[in-house]
Amino acid sequence: MSSVLIKIITSTLYDNARPGSLIFVRNGHHLRGKPPGIAKSLEEKLAAKNYKDPAIHYKVDIGLPPPQINKSKLLQERLKILRSRKNDPELERASRKCQLKIDIEKSYNDWLETTGPYHIRRIAEHYGIFEHLFGDAYFNAWVPLNITYGNNDILNPVYYGNVLKPEETKDKPSVNFKSDETSLWTLLLTNPDGHLTNNEKEYIHWFVGNIPSNQLDKAETIIDYLQPFPPKGTGFHRFVYILYKQNKKLDFSAFKKEGKCIDLDERTFSTYEFYRSFQDEITPAGISFFQSDWSPNVKTFFNKILNMKEPIYEYDFPPPYIRKDEWFPLRQPFNLYMDKHRDSKQVNKEFLVRKLKNVHPFKATPPPVPYPNAVFIDSSVPSWLKTEIRKSRMKWGRINDIE
Amino acid sequence: MQVVRNCTNSLKAVTFRCLSNNVKPNKQANLADTFINRNPRNLERMRIAYKPDGYHIDKPGKSYWHKLELKASNKYVTAFVNHFENGEVLKACTSEWCIKKQLYKSKDTTAYINLGRILGYRCLQTGLTELRCDIHPPNEDGKVALFLKALEEAGVKLQEPPQYKTPYPWDLHRPEKPWEVTE
Repeated sequence: MSSVLIKIITSTLYDNARPGSLIFVRNGHHLRGKPPGIAKSLEEKLAAKNYKDPAIHYKVDIGLPPPQINKSKLLQERLKILRSRKNDPELERASRKCQLKIDIEKSYNDWLETTGPYHIRRIAEHYGIFEHLFGDAYFNAWVPLNITYGNNDILNPVYYGNVLKPEETKDKPSVNFKSDETSLWTLLLTNPDGHLTNNEKEYIHWFVGNIPSNQLDKAETIIDYLQPFPPKGTGFHRFVYILYKQNKKLDFSAFKKEGKCIDLDERTFSTYEFYRSFQDEITPAGISFFQSDWSPNVKTFFNKILNMKEPIYEYDFPPPYIRKDEWFPLRQPFNLYMDKHRDSKQVNKEFLVRKLKNVHPFKATPPPVPYPNAVFIDSSVPSWLKTEIRKSRMKWGRINDIE
Repeated sequence: MQVVRNCTNSLKAVTFRCLSNNVKPNKQANLADTFINRNPRNLERMRIAYKPDGYHIDKPGKSYWHKLELKASNKYVTAFVNHFENGEVLKACTSEWCIKKQLYKSKDTTAYINLGRILGYRCLQTGLTELRCDIHPPNEDGKVALFLKALEEAGVKLQEPPQYKTPYPWDLHRPEKPWEVTE
């Protein structure tokens, strides 16, 4: 109908046009909706859809106050350093010849004292850490944590999302942070992604309370260290170290677990509830986290230490969209159409039965034919079945599901 | 957020037969059927997260999870890592005191090289090791090219893997699942 209409319109346009002038006609093209420039772009539409009212969705800073710095004094110091560097001819030469390599370790330590805490907060938000551990709260890590796994040979430091394998994190790490002599601290290692039964909860891997200054060996171990065990197929889990500053000596006997504590139910934990119950006494001061995924070490951990069979998972992809079936599916190949609307398990079973027909239980399977499609197919076989046979020979399509 | 199906039930029969009677799966009964990994970066690392494709007539550069960007002002250079949803997630700038302190000039070739080294170090620290890069250096041994080279030498890959899309049952082939490949 619409094409007929356009034909009529275009013919009238041509009739009205002066001879010799060019007329641009769009045959069969209609602009749907508002023209570009007036209609909203995808970005604008998404922004409107994802808009959150700042009066309701706001975040609260629960961290320590930022350290007090005398800005003018700091500026004077910095200018002094810069001036002394500007007058250094050797430095100028190195810079000109591209030989000036800055010390990355030193730069990292300076970063932790200047812009580092803000960058760390940004990346922790990117990893969804505050959202999953504290809900609508966040903090800046004013006390940098220095956590290192391993012995003297290979060191695996924990930063802000780097990947460490379970075998690298088998034993307790060494922890260091800056502290005055009188303060008390609490250190926790939790995994918000790995709970096997309740997805909202976390597993606590380490809980050390009442740490006097930064001496972990004099601290009270509430829950002993347990290595990461991300199950097979579940991907990368976050393991978050959080350091809290205590106001006074606290009693953590409600959380106390004796011995190695390999019962996973007892390790169920919620940082949100923990922080709620102690929020007047503790303040989060430092954060550090790594990611870990499955390795063969996890299997032995499940079997030997937890004494259970290793659970295996696979990502659950959404099923493909299949149009509602019709009474008379016209112009559709009947076999393909019916395969789509049948139970895929049944289809796969048929393929399997066909395959097993040629398998002898005691004899070895014959070697595959070098040119499978050269084998003669009887001329009485209908063409659709011939295509199916050819597809199975070439290992195309649904046969892959049983191979 | 990721929903993962527990396929131990289907494997149980096989495993039981092989492992005889040493295994005590008494805690196995508690396992939930679905496991949810809340790590928002997990699917991107597993290469199955949604990646915007952009429209087919768009200028290329819309399809990424993490993308590298470089901006130069009059005095300083800034390198960003952008995420397609979260925006700017990582940054290194020669105006930061920790970098500026050790440089002679904050926008010369040396500054570009050192900025690449620092950003590479921060990328490794934060686990963002594969970035899309649409920066085409104007000349081969210029500042920008040296910046990219320093970033690559630090261990960052300037190319993102394609998104794995699960095949339909009627598809011709079954592409390899990236998480099943052991490197």
